[in-house]
Amino acid sequence: MVTVTINVNGERRTASVPPETTLLKLLRESFNLTGAKLGCDVGDCGACTVIVDGKLVNSCLMLAGQVDGLDVLTIEGLATTDRLHPIQKVFEEKGSLQCGFCGPGVIMSTKALLDQNPNPTLHEIRDALAGNLCRCTGYTKMIEAIQAIAREGTIERATAKSA
Amino acid sequence: MKAFEFVAARDSEHAVQLLAEHAPSARVIAGGTDLLADLKFSSHVPGVVVDISRAQDLRTLAITDEGLNIGTLVTHTEIMCSPLIREMFPALVDAAHTIGAVQTRNLGTLGGNLVTAVPSMDSGPTLVALDAKVTVAGPDGRRQMPLTEFFVGPRKTILKPDELLVEIIIPKENLGKPTHFLKFGLRKGQALALVNVAASFWVDWDKNVFIAPRIALGAVAPKVIHAPSAEAYLEGREITPDAMAEAGRLAVGDAKPINDFRASAGYRRDMIAVLTKRALEGAYALAQAKRKKT
Repeated sequence: MVTVTINVNGERRTASVPPETTLLKLLRESFNLTGAKLGCDVGDCGACTVIVDGKLVNSCLMLAGQVDGLDVLTIEGLATTDRLHPIQKVFEEKGSLQCGFCGPGVIMSTKALLDQNPNPTLHEIRDALAGNLCRCTGYTKMIEAIQAIAREGTIERATAKSA
Repeated sequence: MKAFEFVAARDSEHAVQLLAEHAPSARVIAGGTDLLADLKFSSHVPGVVVDISRAQDLRTLAITDEGLNIGTLVTHTEIMCSPLIREMFPALVDAAHTIGAVQTRNLGTLGGNLVTAVPSMDSGPTLVALDAKVTVAGPDGRRQMPLTEFFVGPRKTILKPDELLVEIIIPKENLGKPTHFLKFGLRKGQALALVNVAASFWVDWDKNVFIAPRIALGAVAPKVIHAPSAEAYLEGREITPDAMAEAGRLAVGDAKPINDFRASAGYRRDMIAVLTKRALEGAYALAQAKRKKT
């Protein structure tokens, strides 16, 4: 077993897990954070996307032991019980997610993009979403939502809140 | 995934110790983008996984007496964002950008991409075109070799089970050498290359001729290869569109592409000619732009 302590969504949590446990499994099964999803399990679909030490990653491709001591931000770290994160709010308004399975990953990718680049071009948005596969809604409404966030400057609020 | 033991190395020296202790049943994990994807579907699971992701001495990216030294753990994103590499080798930036997506580029490392030795790897051609060397560390110390010798065949490198790839070096004489990389895949995002090509050469501006031309081809042979007949043809030759097109045709003869579900060998051969010519044009455009700046 390996003992792993991570700072997840601002909270210090520890678990002992078998060495072959991925970060995704640690989040879902030890910490009950089921927002990040198990999709392809090989880093193609992006459903498991989280942010580790400020970097967007596939949590299915990291071992729990590799994140010991690091900061992890998951979709659960964005909204509060009474308020959605501005990115989530705009995705909701634009109907950018239907079944929602890819949503947590898409929104984390959006957050990582806007944190670095508050005013992305269409090309930059598409590049930022290339690692997130959506099979029902399609990408057009997601891209429209991200463009709306950039246009309306909602991102100042978005980054300020999560900082 | 089947069970294995997990040990984390503090630095490269510790990693080599751990490998010596646990070889041959040990595997190294860095970014994990290839290893974990493999282990999840493999019946052959290592006894021990040695994590090198915390070995800070493997993250260097600097100009040294040898040239540009890139630590094995430098990620594709770090290559894309490095001001040094952006200035000196935009082809490396372009190549890194074609790999996977943001998430996998943040995790995946240059060393990891090379160690997989997949013939279609996108880091390979640019480095081969720049005559890159690699440093390998093992129980008996360190040894260096050209990257082309590091690759042995599909998914096979020269690494022994107790050895670690520690750095990639672009030799001093090639710093800033105009180089262009092109990848042709079925999509732009997350696709493997059907063919990828890098071309690199200096220009003798007085005579307008190719100096030290290098052409490297990926996905069209058991490993990333040079195109020696195209290189020999261009050496000292006047830089013209016809010469570039002829080099493309000659490069086809240097490759041994296969038929697979992504493309036929014949299609790949046609693409080698086209991409080689375009990569040469790209490198020439870069050379001209650099000349204007100075």
